Amino acid sequence: MSDAEQKIDAYLNDVRGRLRGLGEEQSREIIAELRSHIVERASADGSVTNESVDAGLMAMGSAKQLASEYVTDELLARAEAQRSPFHLLDSLFGWASISVAGFFVTITSLIGYFLGAVFVLVAMLKPLHPADAGLWALRDNTGDLELSVRLGFGSPPTNGHELLGWWIVPLGLLIGCGLVVFTTRFALWCVRIYRRSRLLPGRS
Amino acid sequence: MLEHESDLIVSEGTIYPLLSRLKALGLVESEWVESEGGHPRKYYSITEAGRQRATKMAAIWARFSSSMSRLLAPLVEVK
Repeated sequence: MSDAEQKIDAYLNDVRGRLRGLGEEQSREIIAELRSHIVERASADGSVTNESVDAGLMAMGSAKQLASEYVTDELLARAEAQRSPFHLLDSLFGWASISVAGFFVTITSLIGYFLGAVFVLVAMLKPLHPADAGLWALRDNTGDLELSVRLGFGSPPTNGHELLGWWIVPLGLLIGCGLVVFTTRFALWCVRIYRRSRLLPGRS
Repeated sequence: MLEHESDLIVSEGTIYPLLSRLKALGLVESEWVESEGGHPRKYYSITEAGRQRATKMAAIWARFSSSMSRLLAPLVEVK
């Protein structure tokens, strides 16, 4: 094998090693396509030389950048197909690790799911801790009122009063489930918009 | 062709991920063909859905672009 061929192989192996999360078949197809392009470009003037291969690989850009384009596509496609919050979050974490947009969508979704879970939890814990669990208006040290969702663990607070009583059960379930559904829709919407924006070249 | 017929520069490394996105959306399809030189080549062709999408996008762009041209006309030097 010539030096030029070895260079192409090394580059393609680098790309392939970075195609994490893609299926075997898909990776093979991508590598075959890239190889065909690089070899054809390098042999445009007749024979494949060290210089023509160098120029070709330079034009392709770094293996890391190239692979991350495919990996991001795969992550977004998988995220968009999810309907369960747990699977969706799993895909979002992957997206967050490689993109700023993904990071913000993931953080927002985490907050949404967390608040949703708290409301559902307080509705479920109300029958177990009737005197304490619920939505409370508490007076803090400076005298300002603040709202607090209490799950009913520990002793009941003395500096405030409960607001909703037993209404927290239906309302908590409604708001909690609503937040989970809304957060899921929001995250999927973000994924869809971001995916569409990737159909145009020219982003870095 | 992009570079020959326009000022648009698209790096070679950008093209293949883009094509694979278009393919995932069913806007293009591809086929491997054995070439005479011995290297297999992958050929892409636009699908009916792709053609419709391109026509729609071209119409949107033409409308936007003519509005912009009208708005910017006073600023563009007439030679």
